[in-house]
Amino acid sequence: MQPSIVRLERVTKTFALPEGGMITALKAIDLDVRRNEFLTLLGPSGCGKTTLLHSISGFVQLDGGKVSIDGEDVTERPPHRRPVNTVFQNYALFPHMNVDKNVGYALDIAGTDGKERGRRVGAALELVGLSGLGGRLPRQLSGGQQQRVALARAIIARPKLLLLDEPLSALDRNLRQAMQIELKGLQAELGISFIFVTHDQEEALTMSDRLAVLEKGVIQQLDTPRSVYSRPANAFVASFIGASNLFEGAARSDGTDMLVVTPNGEHIRAAGSGTVANGQPVTALIRPEQFSLHNGGNGQPAAFIDADVEQIVFTGLNYQIHGRTPAGRKVVAIIAAVHQREVAEIDAAKKARLTYDPAGVQLIGASGGEP
Amino acid sequence: MRWLRNIGTGTLSAYTALFFAFIYLPIALIVIYSFNADPVNMMRWSGFTFDWYKQIFGLRNVTSENALYIESTEQLLKAVRNSLTVAAFTTTIATVLGTATALALYRFNFLGKKFYRVLLFAPMLMPDIVLGIALLIFFISVGFSLGITTIVIGQCSFLTSYVFIVVSARLAGMDRTLENASADLGANDWVTFRRIILPQAMPGVIGGALLAFIISMDDLVITYFISGVDTQTLPIFIFGMLRRGIKPEINAIAVMMLLFSFAVASAGLYLRSRRG
Repeated sequence: MQPSIVRLERVTKTFALPEGGMITALKAIDLDVRRNEFLTLLGPSGCGKTTLLHSISGFVQLDGGKVSIDGEDVTERPPHRRPVNTVFQNYALFPHMNVDKNVGYALDIAGTDGKERGRRVGAALELVGLSGLGGRLPRQLSGGQQQRVALARAIIARPKLLLLDEPLSALDRNLRQAMQIELKGLQAELGISFIFVTHDQEEALTMSDRLAVLEKGVIQQLDTPRSVYSRPANAFVASFIGASNLFEGAARSDGTDMLVVTPNGEHIRAAGSGTVANGQPVTALIRPEQFSLHNGGNGQPAAFIDADVEQIVFTGLNYQIHGRTPAGRKVVAIIAAVHQREVAEIDAAKKARLTYDPAGVQLIGASGGEP
Repeated sequence: MRWLRNIGTGTLSAYTALFFAFIYLPIALIVIYSFNADPVNMMRWSGFTFDWYKQIFGLRNVTSENALYIESTEQLLKAVRNSLTVAAFTTTIATVLGTATALALYRFNFLGKKFYRVLLFAPMLMPDIVLGIALLIFFISVGFSLGITTIVIGQCSFLTSYVFIVVSARLAGMDRTLENASADLGANDWVTFRRIILPQAMPGVIGGALLAFIISMDDLVITYFISGVDTQTLPIFIFGMLRRGIKPEINAIAVMMLLFSFAVASAGLYLRSRRG
């Protein structure tokens, strides 16, 4: 079997804070990046995701651990001798060079001959849809165009993998969504691995084959977007990926189902039994879209939470209902826009009975991971 | 209350006009007087003439007893030549040293960096007289004979600071990630310096060189101390003339210097604008 395109082994980096003290940006991280995969590093700012990216490109000196690219140990190699290229957050286009010179920079340094250079620059510009703009200076381009120049410049040397450091964060929403799809297409076309850094969970879910959620220098979970969303490894991942209603409490079995009993006396019902021992601390996760307003036909609803409605936000696709349980805990429910009659009712009553299916409730063990 | 606002605006406009008149009127008068035919009283207009210009270029010799205190055109031209020689050397040396220092302080961290930076600012704050005396004492005590060389060394000692400050300001506005981008694309440190850092620093370097050149051409106080008896730069020469009374040729010389400065500054600005 071929080695992974990137392998990190116990990669560690500590920074000194300007006000004194140290911060651990990377805590003995192990990571294997597969060939041709779109891997996203996701986390809040300061979680270590950019440092992790820089440990692959070579811009940080590691305190410990080993970085291999395509089976070769590159831990001690300077950035200019590593077979990776980066798309920087602010694009980092050279302001005194035109688009052609920017894109051809790597070839000019490698001494590629003029004919070959011209052909490849032309091809790269065509790939990103900027043919004919070679003579422009970066400042004469729009944000989206600059982004494409940065992309073309980074792929022209045919790197073994492409690193992208929050490349879309400066674009407006519509352009960002278009670029997300384009990037994914480009990755498939080039047939190389992309490592993409972002703090935007929606972006991560949309684009990735796998995503790694980072917090405090540790990979909290590494899995496909669907698995990370539906089976978060711990409360941090659950709250960072998508909005979540988390109920911490103690487990109790009532014979058929598990109950999570919070200190305030709320009961959350989860299907299945015997997965958590009685009395064990456990957190129940209910996604906002898992709530509904009907009682599920006749008879008693399977499970519900009563809430005082504080605010209803209409987003076009749906209603976000922000409420509070009698015990004072905030809950968020998302109700599709077609249910406007029911929403109008609860808006008038300022009270809502939020029902949910116990089979959809996720239980997260206190120590992280599935209980 | 409209009239009150009108008065306010009017006063402000008048003040602005006065301010600019205060700055530019004397200069305008010099230009006008340089064409005034009256050899004795500059304030009395007695006809238009190119005589003073002809005089300084040695094209005409007026031998009226009142006029023409230029000792000789040759001396004047020699002073101009000295000034240009000094300025050329000083500008080159100060630009190279100042730029190199700015780059070093931009690029590297080392012990005492802040202190070093303060030391580089100090010559700008030092009174000219003090610097002049200090240099004079230094040159004499180490046994240098005063002349062009000492002027060049002396001027470099403070013009390097000017260049350093101008170039540093330019570098401070530069994006450090561009260096990462260059390295990422396969460039080693030297290639990055040559292709990314230097081209971007260039407007600062040109600006610093220009400033050094103009200050060098213009410097009187410090140069006066360290020029010795035989070497005269243009400002020293003019100062010498003035001590024997303000003569009409001075106006012509002043106008020539003004034009020269404008030409140099325009050339520099043009170069800067082309490099963005």
